[in-house]
Amino acid sequence: MTSENSWYEAGARQRVAALLDPGSFAEFIGPEQREISPHLAIFDLPEQFDDGIIVGHGTLEGRRILVAAQEGRFMGGAFGEVHGAKLTGLLRAARTLGEPVLILFDTGGVRLQEANAGELAIAEIMRALVEARMAGVQVVGLIGGRAGCYGGGSLIAGCCSALIVSEQGRISVSGPEVIETNKGIEEFDSRDRALVWRTMGGKHRYLIGGADAFADDDVLAFREAALIVLAGNGRLDADVLEAEQQRLEHRLHRFGKAHDAIDIWTDIGVSEPTEIPGLATDEFLRRTTNKRETANGAR
Amino acid sequence: MRNWSTQKEALALRRYAGQRYACGKSVALDDLPQFLEAVLRPGDRVCLEGDNQKQADILAKALANLDPGKIHDLHMVQSGVVLPEHLDVFEKGVAKRLDFSYSGPQSTRIARMLSGGKIELGAVHTYLELFARYFIDLTPQVALIAAVSADRDGNLYTGPNTEDTPTVVEATSFKSGMVVAQVAEIVDKVPRVDIPGDLVHFVVDAKKPFYVEPLFTRDPGAITETQILTAMLAIKGLYAPYGVRRLNHGIGFNTAAIELLLPTYGEKLGLKGKICTHFALNPHPTLIPAIEAGWVEQIHSFGSEVGMDDYLSARSDIFFTGPDGSLRSNRAYCQVAGLYACDMFIGSTLQIDLQGHSSTVTTNRIAGFGGAPNMGSDSRGRRHPSEPWLKAGADADPNAAAGLRRGRKLVVQIGETFGEKNVPLFVEQLDALELADKLDLDLAPVMIYGDDVSHIITEDGIANLLLCRDNDEREQAIRGVAGYTDVGRARDRKMVERLRARGVIRRPEDLGIDPLDADRRMLAARSIKDLMLASGGLYQPPSQFRNW
Repeated sequence: MTSENSWYEAGARQRVAALLDPGSFAEFIGPEQREISPHLAIFDLPEQFDDGIIVGHGTLEGRRILVAAQEGRFMGGAFGEVHGAKLTGLLRAARTLGEPVLILFDTGGVRLQEANAGELAIAEIMRALVEARMAGVQVVGLIGGRAGCYGGGSLIAGCCSALIVSEQGRISVSGPEVIETNKGIEEFDSRDRALVWRTMGGKHRYLIGGADAFADDDVLAFREAALIVLAGNGRLDADVLEAEQQRLEHRLHRFGKAHDAIDIWTDIGVSEPTEIPGLATDEFLRRTTNKRETANGAR
Repeated sequence: MRNWSTQKEALALRRYAGQRYACGKSVALDDLPQFLEAVLRPGDRVCLEGDNQKQADILAKALANLDPGKIHDLHMVQSGVVLPEHLDVFEKGVAKRLDFSYSGPQSTRIARMLSGGKIELGAVHTYLELFARYFIDLTPQVALIAAVSADRDGNLYTGPNTEDTPTVVEATSFKSGMVVAQVAEIVDKVPRVDIPGDLVHFVVDAKKPFYVEPLFTRDPGAITETQILTAMLAIKGLYAPYGVRRLNHGIGFNTAAIELLLPTYGEKLGLKGKICTHFALNPHPTLIPAIEAGWVEQIHSFGSEVGMDDYLSARSDIFFTGPDGSLRSNRAYCQVAGLYACDMFIGSTLQIDLQGHSSTVTTNRIAGFGGAPNMGSDSRGRRHPSEPWLKAGADADPNAAAGLRRGRKLVVQIGETFGEKNVPLFVEQLDALELADKLDLDLAPVMIYGDDVSHIITEDGIANLLLCRDNDEREQAIRGVAGYTDVGRARDRKMVERLRARGVIRRPEDLGIDPLDADRRMLAARSIKDLMLASGGLYQPPSQFRNW
């Protein structure tokens, strides 16, 4: 049953509070400063005083850490000018301070109402993220919210040192409806949620190396996974990029003709692949041990 | 001398004409178009089976593809106008006149075709009304129905989604009409005989199951905290004081929230066994946790629900099942049960006006009525007493002699003051009136008339309209729970406070409910997967509801 501390159910502030050491979180540019979007009022849309993202610092098992959390319930966690600038600033601070970053993604991508500013923000965030990583800073993405991690959010996630995902999490550049609209319902039926999940959902992304750790839908499970991932090195250099490029080429060659995720799961040797979506976390991890594709600190 | 058997002779001619394309009773799918052309006559009154759930989809498709030069001017009498083909028959000129009940997904197109003169409208009915007219003045000459399987004698197994079939066959076959069934397979022996073979004239092997819409599945993941608050108000402010044990729930998220609060909030209030024990209700997946926790004694259903069949078979103490083990539903009986044997109907709507009239019609859509008005009306033919019915009657007319006082059904509208896309629930005038003007209808399509409504619940509180003594009080009671909508802001504050002092309006705090307690963690299930787990894996959610 859904955990009392469900990540999927929690809001951004609840996630941050439960993820970090109790009482350790301090916010930058909090809602009391009312740094709101300059664009939404033009469209007569409601604003939020934190523009749908919380940034700040805290500790994780005593270690100082920077954190950003998107609020998926405000405009689907979408990126706008202020929202994006807060994350860019946090990543630049991480480079200066040499402190690791957790990004709690929960986003459908860029806000249509401030699309140019939002797209620019995505580019700035990616640059700041890569610069931080080049300076040796780990940037870890946590994905398991209601809005998933789509569009520009998924591009940013792709730049992270590591991604932690739950079954509920979805990662994809194009959302189901976008694919259906452009390619037709025969290509992708966006109403078939089981299809959406086995194509973009946490389990599939984990199995094909699109995510590095798999967590239960529980804030404490995400915390455990973050501690494990942060113990790694998150190195980013030419060797890592080349290895990842080769892996992706190999992956495309191996699975490019597959029509459904189940074909891929069969191919990598998972027993009873059709049962995968229904499995609880322990059984899922047991059945897929040593079978999944692994990424190389870049994806 | 008059021939008293013209209908039987006409049926014999139809059967003879159809026999050319049949082997015994069996018609091959490829021969279906020629077969239909042979048995149908221009101007026939035809019942094409379909409602808000099951559809005789193969027969609908074949009918829509007939040559209007040969078959035209049909008078369609059917529960649901749901598939595109149901309107294609009018677009193409195969059919001309329509009497129906429900049109959910086709509500926009049907409105357009009505105003464009493509359809000659008889009337929009409730299910029970239309069924009733099948036996009086809208008896079908041909019925095109759907079943799961048939044997070679035409005995039909309709499976868990029996729904309208027995009613349609009864009206057609016993009045010398022809019955044609589509089935998914022909078997040597059907699991149970839902329709006796001698009432069925031809069977088409469609080689696939008829379509069923999962209309009653509400994802707990989409229930909001405001809806939870309205559900808490309903349970503590209505179900508990009236002791409502026999009831029908609508299909909205507010009532889904009530179902999911029974094992948590209801348990805490000590209400188990005292409320919600008997339902006229489709098998809502959101009721699984309450059933598993032992709240529910018995449920009779209009139809089944996609994915629920194994669960229903495994819970035969609660549901009506056949000797084969599967659910037996029946829309007509369940509608009657909802009308006469339930003490409460509670459901949501799109618009409520100042008199309490409600409608799901907006200017460009005719969604029809389905069954809600049968459930959501005070049954004036009712004679058996029950505690909630008598208590509601006393609320409405405290001074009448108890022995001569009618009871009242609790007819409750529940919703948020601002609905989907922030559209206000409360309006000065229903869009239904404008639509009636535009289409020149005698009656505005009102889902539930104000004089049937006993209570309105929003996050703002409960308005007990039974306690209102005149139209002014009634209007202010409605404005008093209309929140920040225009209707709500135009309230007479003093009068609303007086009504509150009299208990006509009860706010959450008057009931000891803290709105901040309305938390999703109170739901007994917060996702479809939770429902599946609560059922012990017996509930198999359809693909479109699986977010895993």
